[in-house]
Amino acid sequence: MTLDFLFVVGLAGIVTLGLKSSFIEGQTYFTLPPWLITALEFVPPAVLCSLIVPSIFKGDSGLVQEFGQVAVDPKPIAAILAAFAFFATKRTGPTLVTGMFSLYLVYWLQL
Amino acid sequence: MLPFLPGIVPFGIVTGFTPIALGFTWIDSWLGSLFMFAGAAQLATYQLMNEHASIWVILLTVTAINLRYVLYSASIAPHLADANRFIRLLAGYGLSDQIYPICYRDYQTYEWGLEERIAYYAGGTVLLWGLWQACTLAGAFAGQIIPVFWSLEFMIPLTFLTLALQTLKTMAHRVTAISGTLVSFVGLDLPYSLGLILGAISGVCFGVLYQRVIR
Repeated sequence: MTLDFLFVVGLAGIVTLGLKSSFIEGQTYFTLPPWLITALEFVPPAVLCSLIVPSIFKGDSGLVQEFGQVAVDPKPIAAILAAFAFFATKRTGPTLVTGMFSLYLVYWLQL
Repeated sequence: MLPFLPGIVPFGIVTGFTPIALGFTWIDSWLGSLFMFAGAAQLATYQLMNEHASIWVILLTVTAINLRYVLYSASIAPHLADANRFIRLLAGYGLSDQIYPICYRDYQTYEWGLEERIAYYAGGTVLLWGLWQACTLAGAFAGQIIPVFWSLEFMIPLTFLTLALQTLKTMAHRVTAISGTLVSFVGLDLPYSLGLILGAISGVCFGVLYQRVIR
């Protein structure tokens, strides 16, 4: 742990607390306009999808770091299969399991 | 609250051990849980720190992921308006995806006084918070003995994928997700993780545009 780490995580904690407490604490001082409340609904899917992209298309998985590169990166394929698992089950557990096993399988098939 | 608890166990464990897979210590991993108590934002913070993103990108991302709490906060606030400042602060810290819908539903169903409302909120939150801390700690310790080739860091995008897919309730949400993904992909090589920010902004804009203009 470094001071930089503490600084970043501490600030992230303060930001999170600020957002969670925004109206519980500040309800007497301000209200949000309706158009902003509508826009806020779209923030989670937009941010989550944007976050997924770099971790799927950039960097090497632990498998590659340990056993070397393969022709086709297994991560995008594993993510697509995990998405299918989610649509089929609507549950987190099977989605994660499918994604991880697909990653291993697609890598192993190319060895 | 009890039906929610089994569901947060795997997510808590994943949130605890993925920072370890990225090279952080168990204390680093646990501090995120303690300071933030917000799983997706915790994971994003560690992922972006690992990618050496600037602090502004990290804080913007945390803000964006946690914006839903503003909606929860706005809707639960009238029920806690008469509580003292310390209780309100604790209630803010403990606000979660699980406690919000339960309290929102039951505050409207039952005619409780302030003390009962606070006790109901506190009971569920303490239970959830304790389980979350225990799961993230368990995950962090497990992460220290799991070998690199298990590629457990891949659990982060998979977890985000699951959370993202859960939010796609309408066509406008799907438009948001697709446009955010595409813009983020096009901006993959931009510096300072700008692709992420542009993806998020464009996703929201396209979603709102679809809902207001096209539909």
